[in-house]
Amino acid sequence: MDEHDDQFQPLVSELRALIGDADPVPPLVTEGAKAAFGWRRLDADLAELLADSSLETESLARTRGTGAPVRSVTFSAGELTIDIEIHSDGARRTLLGQLAPRQSVTIEIQTFDDNQAAIAATDSLGRFRAQIAGGRQIRLRIVGEPPFSAVETSWVMI
Amino acid sequence: MATLRELIEGADDGDQAAWEEIVDRFSGLVWATARAHRLSASEAADVAQTTWLRLVENLDRIQDPDRLGAWLATTARRECLRLIRLGSREQPTADDWVLDRPTDEHLDSRLLARERESALRAALSRLDDRCQALVRMLAAPEPPSYEEIGAALGMPVGAIGPTRARCLQKLRRSPELASLESG
Repeated sequence: MDEHDDQFQPLVSELRALIGDADPVPPLVTEGAKAAFGWRRLDADLAELLADSSLETESLARTRGTGAPVRSVTFSAGELTIDIEIHSDGARRTLLGQLAPRQSVTIEIQTFDDNQAAIAATDSLGRFRAQIAGGRQIRLRIVGEPPFSAVETSWVMI
Repeated sequence: MATLRELIEGADDGDQAAWEEIVDRFSGLVWATARAHRLSASEAADVAQTTWLRLVENLDRIQDPDRLGAWLATTARRECLRLIRLGSREQPTADDWVLDRPTDEHLDSRLLARERESALRAALSRLDDRCQALVRMLAAPEPPSYEEIGAALGMPVGAIGPTRARCLQKLRRSPELASLESG
């Protein structure tokens, strides 16, 4: 590509060698990336991440009293919306979620290294609650009786 | 060599080898993006993992295979920003970037190369943040396109060329490198 063909090319090559030596991609990171393929979605619809308060310019909301940060994320698949508040307490995360329209379903919380790190069921209002250790990626797999078809959310780091 | 379209379609059909080739091609770009945001190695590993999981779930939605690198860089950058905003993370000091690893011992025998290397490191550490981030992207193993660098750093593509020239000129004219060349 001619955008790279210029007087600085020798210097750039030198930098590439220097930084490549000093800061290569760790083998574990590449292995993890390859293993991520095992999490392909086979029989479920994707619920995409629509909103994430941790990406908004406004800083995180804070709960009254405790000062612990609360993050809210929203996923959506077709008509189904999944709102989740993530409360942090040290390394623990408490997830308070709600499905709209309300559904009677089971929520499996999957982590990269565990097919079912936690499980919860919705109440009559479509709400659920789960606790899990933070500092890792999770996704929700939502299953219910037909005609409800299985849904999996995007992965999020919590 | 398989085209990106072939690889993406292959992976979407369940071909692990196609997936691994995608990872091999872009692993350096994703890692460079995280490190250009000055994340620690463990934070950068989290960003990379999230980015690759996101690609797995979106394999059937990549519209333009030729822009896969830019898609990955954008996804990684968003995760970096989230982590930085969310974080109680400590801001790394200005000089713990490429300078945070000891020089390999085998380089000791190559005195001249080593002298040049320390001069480069010293000169790099004097660059401003934007230049350091850009240099980190330029140094990714497979040279990223300007579009990919723009996506990784949140810069307009048109600004990459001029910024690159400014940063590399500054690096070349730094006292550390200049003294080495005149001496």
